[in-house]
Amino acid sequence: MGGVSIWDCIKCGLCNICPVFRAEKLESVSPRGRLILLKEIKKGSIKLDVRIVKDIYKCSVCGICSVVCPANLDLVKLWEEIREKLVERKIAPLPRHKKAGDITYRDFNPYGGDQQKRSEWLDFSVGKSKTLYFAGCTASFKSHNIAKSTAKALKNLGVEFTVLGPQEFCCGSPFLRTGQKDLARMLFKKNIRVWQKEGIEEIITSCPGCYKTIKEDYPKFAKETKIDFNIEVKHVSTVFSELMTKEGNLDLVATYHDPCHLGRHMGIYEEPRQVIRKAGVKLIEMERNRNFALCCGAGGGLRTQFKEIAIAIAEERIREALETGANLIITSCPFCEYNLSRVGGSRIKVLDLSEIAERTVSP
Amino acid sequence: MQEALHTALSKVCKVETHPGIMQIYRYDFLTIPKRLSRFIKNPICVVQPKNDEEVMKILEISERFNIPIIPRGSGTTGYGGCVPLKESIVVDMKHMSNYSFQNDSVVAESGAIWWEVEKSARKQGKSLRVYPSSATVSTVGGWIAQNGYGIGSLKYGSIGDNVEWLEVADFNGFKIVKGEKLKYYIGAFGTTGIIIRACLRLRENTGIRCESFQCSFEDAIKKIEGGYHANFKDGRYMQLENAGDRDTLLVTYEGEGESSELGKRLWEKRLYPLRALTADRIYSEAIVPYEKAVEFYRRTRGLSIGVEVVFARDSVIFLGLFGRGLKPYLKALKFVKIAEELGGSVYTTGLLFPHKNKFKRDFQDYKRKVDPNNLLNPKKGSFENAFSRIMKIGERFLWVV
Repeated sequence: MGGVSIWDCIKCGLCNICPVFRAEKLESVSPRGRLILLKEIKKGSIKLDVRIVKDIYKCSVCGICSVVCPANLDLVKLWEEIREKLVERKIAPLPRHKKAGDITYRDFNPYGGDQQKRSEWLDFSVGKSKTLYFAGCTASFKSHNIAKSTAKALKNLGVEFTVLGPQEFCCGSPFLRTGQKDLARMLFKKNIRVWQKEGIEEIITSCPGCYKTIKEDYPKFAKETKIDFNIEVKHVSTVFSELMTKEGNLDLVATYHDPCHLGRHMGIYEEPRQVIRKAGVKLIEMERNRNFALCCGAGGGLRTQFKEIAIAIAEERIREALETGANLIITSCPFCEYNLSRVGGSRIKVLDLSEIAERTVSP
Repeated sequence: MQEALHTALSKVCKVETHPGIMQIYRYDFLTIPKRLSRFIKNPICVVQPKNDEEVMKILEISERFNIPIIPRGSGTTGYGGCVPLKESIVVDMKHMSNYSFQNDSVVAESGAIWWEVEKSARKQGKSLRVYPSSATVSTVGGWIAQNGYGIGSLKYGSIGDNVEWLEVADFNGFKIVKGEKLKYYIGAFGTTGIIIRACLRLRENTGIRCESFQCSFEDAIKKIEGGYHANFKDGRYMQLENAGDRDTLLVTYEGEGESSELGKRLWEKRLYPLRALTADRIYSEAIVPYEKAVEFYRRTRGLSIGVEVVFARDSVIFLGLFGRGLKPYLKALKFVKIAEELGGSVYTTGLLFPHKNKFKRDFQDYKRKVDPNNLLNPKKGSFENAFSRIMKIGERFLWVV
């Protein structure tokens, strides 16, 4: 299993902090339980079957298990490698992950959105630039507010950027996380071809999933396929944090939800908080924050295949947010915003960081 | 018969029988060498009751089919307390996790997670007196069943010292256990009844002040007076944790006040234990009286590769780390033996040390009364098994180390 050995698990069970396990309460979905299953499969004492495959996929790949693991196992890497092997052996993907893959093979985004309308959210014109704002599929097709606010804020901050519209394709993150590496590789090739043609040197993403994929996984694909990859990749929270000099006076009291792919996976915790503070928002932390933050429940293909678990986890996060007394959650991920706002309903408002930045830097 | 058992249980609650999942429920934190794993049995099934009625029906079915039951919390004990030695029904209590507060106490169901209870207690201005370092994942019932020591034990003792009463279930129904009789349930690994709920004493949530010292064990033991919680790690243990190489003491006190930076850092890490443990290390724990603690520390230094100490109200808990292999196993056993020689004892019994139960005879007599068919977590707590016999054989060879 690559660089992570399942035999290094000491079975302490501290990973039972896993939000999926907390929702399901059956030990086959806890990281320790899954590792025991994998060991027993290796030993030949049990056979891999649909039930076990499903339990392996009952995980948002949030990475809290790795944070608490005394043996320092890189479990995120392990879960992704295992899923990849399951797909190679044609035991996976699960039906809804496969459906998302099939749609993406056809439409180049998992929502089945019309690629020609991919940048329909853009309400001003942009020229050619070496800096690309890569909105990602969720902001392009589901959460236009995020793409619009990001673009406006970047413009107001003096960033000259371009948008590729129909020539922007899914980055492949949902497929890397669910083991469908071939599809992710195909999307890498499509994107990189366009970026090379357009002379892109810098990419700014709204989505932490895109950020991780383009920053960490694309260089690996590039190496594999002997393509040069010299593009600087930034998450929009870093750009805002660097460029926002004006102090805002937004009269808001908010809590911040750390997206797993931005925080635990990529180590970006402080930049979004700096933006929030600069905006003049009173920030109240939830008890679980930064590397101990609770996942929103949506990632790693969890919401796609096991919506009820994703909702249960988001419900727990909403409860934590409400306990702070804030009436607003700010996050920095379109997928977290999507899941939390749907579960939170009228109880608490959910905004993306870009919406805060836009309000702060608007002339 | 298994089909009939399954049918009967299915009428009560969800029954899990997947062979892979049964493999998971064979284990807890205890690492069992491959050669000895043949003594462990797969559970017949796992059930997850949601209320008292379901627990009672499961007990009735266990009795009717003469199949043992193994109560299980989070499976985070390292003593094999919920490892099945007979084909059994594992009763996973995690779905019974409610709790409510009454003045200075909390009544918590067996499957409640310690840290969840603590977080809620804080909202009432209260706090648990003691909780395990695994509080983020371990259950109320599980820790009581092994009578653990943990955070707060310096002032308040073991969890057993802080139980007002327990509600337990056995084949005769439910009962509230108080006072003297609690000794038959606390640290008994569910061998005399399933812990359903516990009434635990709370303290005022006064805040915590943290101090730390880089000092020897001999000095550390003099610095803990008046503390709420104190633990010591020797330099070797600190090194294994990648936390430096100095002998380090953390002492915390109830009440507000200025904390030292290192003290705060160590206190914040209290819920992330076992950082020195890896797959090629084992640990052994022993309880030693205060007056013999320094002697124990000196005598065992050559045995272990690192030591962590938790200071409790009436005794000192030592955790020694050892490598893997026969000699380190013998060293781990010698660690306990030296504690016994100095008037101390093994930390708890479980699967490994039932022969060391101090109240063995009394306990066995009580067990026969409440569980005449020996169906409640058999071969644990005070009754010997293949593992404890192997431990006893090992104890004869301690001269080797």
